[in-house]
Amino acid sequence: MAEAILRLDDVVKRFAGHTAVQDLSMEVPAGGIFGLLGPNGAGKTTTIRMIMNVIMPDAGRITLFGGPASRSLAARVGFLPEERGLYKKMRVLDHLVFFGQVKGLTARAARARSREWLDRLGLADWGSHKVEDLSKGMQQKVQFISALLHEPELLVLDEPFSGLDPVNSQVMKDVVVDLARQGRTVLFSTHIMEQAERMCDRIVIISRGRKVVDGPIGDVKRDFGGSYVALAFGGDGARAAPVLADRSLVAQVDDYGASAEARLAEGAGANQLLARLVSAGVGLTRFEVVEPSLHSIFIAKVGPEAATAPAREELIHG
Amino acid sequence: MDKVWAVIRREFISRVQSRAFVISTVLGPLLMGALFMMPILLEKRQTAPRHVVVLDAAGGDFGRQVADRLRTEMRDTVTHTIPRYRVEYVAATGRLDQVRDSLVALIGLRRAGPGALDGVLVLWDSTLATGKMQYDGANVGSPNDMNALERAVRPLVIGARLERAGVNPDVVAAAQGRVELRTERVSQGKLTGQSGDASFLLAYVMSFMLYLALLLYGMQVMSSVVEEKSSRIVEVLVSSLTPFQLLLGKVVGVASVALLQLSIWAGTAMVLTTFRLQVAGAFGASPRTVSDLPIPTVSPAMLIVFLGFFVLGFLFYSAMYAAVGSMCNSHQEAQQSQTPVTLFVAAGLMLMFSLLGEPNGTMAHVLSLVPFFAPFVTPVRYSLSPLPWSELLLSVLAMVAGLVVVVWIAARIYRVGILSYGKKPRLAELARWVRTA
Repeated sequence: MAEAILRLDDVVKRFAGHTAVQDLSMEVPAGGIFGLLGPNGAGKTTTIRMIMNVIMPDAGRITLFGGPASRSLAARVGFLPEERGLYKKMRVLDHLVFFGQVKGLTARAARARSREWLDRLGLADWGSHKVEDLSKGMQQKVQFISALLHEPELLVLDEPFSGLDPVNSQVMKDVVVDLARQGRTVLFSTHIMEQAERMCDRIVIISRGRKVVDGPIGDVKRDFGGSYVALAFGGDGARAAPVLADRSLVAQVDDYGASAEARLAEGAGANQLLARLVSAGVGLTRFEVVEPSLHSIFIAKVGPEAATAPAREELIHG
Repeated sequence: MDKVWAVIRREFISRVQSRAFVISTVLGPLLMGALFMMPILLEKRQTAPRHVVVLDAAGGDFGRQVADRLRTEMRDTVTHTIPRYRVEYVAATGRLDQVRDSLVALIGLRRAGPGALDGVLVLWDSTLATGKMQYDGANVGSPNDMNALERAVRPLVIGARLERAGVNPDVVAAAQGRVELRTERVSQGKLTGQSGDASFLLAYVMSFMLYLALLLYGMQVMSSVVEEKSSRIVEVLVSSLTPFQLLLGKVVGVASVALLQLSIWAGTAMVLTTFRLQVAGAFGASPRTVSDLPIPTVSPAMLIVFLGFFVLGFLFYSAMYAAVGSMCNSHQEAQQSQTPVTLFVAAGLMLMFSLLGEPNGTMAHVLSLVPFFAPFVTPVRYSLSPLPWSELLLSVLAMVAGLVVVVWIAARIYRVGILSYGKKPRLAELARWVRTA
C-alpha cells in the first residue's frame, strides 16, 4: 500500500447526547479514489469536518501529509461540503476567484483557471452572471470548481453527486476520475453504493460512528465471501418467488421485482438453482454467477442498524 | 494576510456593486441638496409681502400705530428692503363682527389674484387692557410668521400701557430699542466664526450620520455572517482561514464600504457649501439669503475626530452584530435577535440629544467614557464646545479598551457560533462558548 496521505487514529467526536464518531481509524493512500460510505447519520460528514479542521476531534489524532491537520495545509486540500452553499449575489467568476484567493492563489491565476474550468464544464457563458441566476446543477458545478481550482493534492468531496441529474453526474464523475489519474487523491463520501462500487479503489464503511468495513474494494468483496447469482426475469418474477424462498438453496435474496441478487446457501450450487428455476417455468433473461455487490455487503453489514439512524447532528466546537 | 485581504475585497466589491449601495449613495446627496435648497426656495416663494388687514375696534390711536408699525417691518434683516407686510387699516368700531366675517371670507382666495388677503389682525376694544388680540389667517401654522407678528405688536401694547400710566413716550421708545443676541462658537480659545445655529446643525447631522451608518452597516455585517453560516460557505472558509481572520476581513471590508459612502456624502456636502452662492444663484436665490443660512464649517480636526470615532464605534458595534449573526440560523432569527444591540445604538443617539443642551455637564463627561455611547457623545461634544485634549484622549482610550473586550468576547462567540446549528444558545451557553472557545 502506498504511503498514507491522510491517517485517522482512534478519532472520537461526541455531541451533546450521542457519540458521532467512535474510535475511527483509517488510512487514505496517496493517489486513487477513496470512498467513505455509510448510511445517513453514520458520521461521514462529521468525519470529513474533522479532517477539514472545521471541528476538532475530542480524542484521537488526524495526520494529514504526515503532520497534524492544520489550516496551513489548506492550499493542498480542496473541500466540497455536503451543503450546497454559494454567495447568491456574486458573479460566478468573482466567486471562483475569491475562493481561489482564500486557498492561496493569486487573483490572476485564479481568474485564468476559473475560465478554463468553466469552459470545460460547459459554463463558459455564465462567468459574468450572478450565482442566483444559475440552475441548481450549474451551481453545484461552480462549487465543485471552487473546490479544485487551486489544484489540491487531496480533494475531499462530501456527497458530491447528490441531487445531480445523470448528465451532470457523469461530467463530475469524469473530472474526478481524471484527477485521480493525474495522481491526486480523492476522498468522497456517499450512500449510493453503485457509484462507489464503480469508482473507488478503496472504501471504508462506517455505521453509527464505527468502522465496519475497510480495504481495497476487491479484498472487501473476496473477504465477504459467499457465492452470488444475479438474476433477471422476463416478466414472470412471481414464479421465481417460491424457489428463491427455499432457504436450503438461497440464503438471502435482494428482490427488485424484475431482477434479483441471491446469495446461495452453503452447500448449494448455482446449477441447482438454475435447474429449479427452469423447472418452475421462470423465463430467465439473465443468470450469472457474480461477486457480491457493494450494495449487498453494505446492507449485510449495516442493515439492521441503519434503520435507526441517530438524530441530526448538533455541532459544538470543542 | 493575503487571505484576509481577499475577504476584505470580496465584502467591499460585492457591496459596492449592489443596487442598494448605488441608490443610497446617490440618494444621500440628493436629500442633502434638498435640505440645503429648501429654505432658499421657500424664501423665494415667500418674498411677496403678506397682505394683512388691521381691523381696529380698540378705538383711539392704537390701531393706526399697529398698522404703521407693521408697514415698517422688513422681511430681510440685512438690507431692510423687502417689506414683510402689505397693510390696510379698517376702523370697525361697533360693527366688528360683520366686517370681520366679510374679510375672513376673502382670505386665501386665489381668484382674487395678488390682492388676496393673507390674514386679519383683530384688535378688540379690550385689547389694551387685556393684551389679547386675534389673528385670523391662512398662515397661522407657520411659527416664523406668528413670531414675527407677535414681536412687532408686543412693544406697541407695552408702550401704550406705559404711556397710559404716565411714562414719557421718549423714555418708552428708548427702552424698547432692539435687543439682539448673536452667537459665535469659541474653540481652543479662538473665535471660529461659526454661529451657534451652525454648530448645533453640525452636531445634529453628524450624530444622524453616525447612527445611520452604524445601524445600516452593522446590520450588513450581521447578515453577511448569517449568509455564510446558513449556506455553509463558512465551512469551506474556516478550513483555510481562522474564524478571527474571517471576522476581521468581513468587518474591515464592510467598514471601508461605509467610509466610502460617508466620504461621498461628506464630499458632496462640502462642495455644496463651498459653492453655495453659485448653487443658490442657479436656483435664482439672492446671495444674501444664502449667507444667512446656518452652514457649519468643518475643520480638519473635527473631521478626524468624527471619522476616528466612527471607525472605533463601527468596529465596536459590528463585532457585536457579527456575534449575534453567528448565533442565528436565518435572517429572520437574526433580525429578532439584534434588538439589544440596536437598542444601544438608539440609546446613544437619544443620549446625544439630551446632551446638546449641556455638552460639558457631569453626564456628558461620564458618557464620553462609556464605549457604548462615546462614538456619539464625544464627537458631538467636540463640535459643540471646546474639549480639552486630555479628555478627548481619555475617551479614545476608554473606547479602545471597550473595543478590545468586546472584540475578544464577540470573536469567541463567533468562532463557536458559525459552526453551531440548531437552537439559539441561551445566555449560560454563550458564557460557556466564551470560556471554552
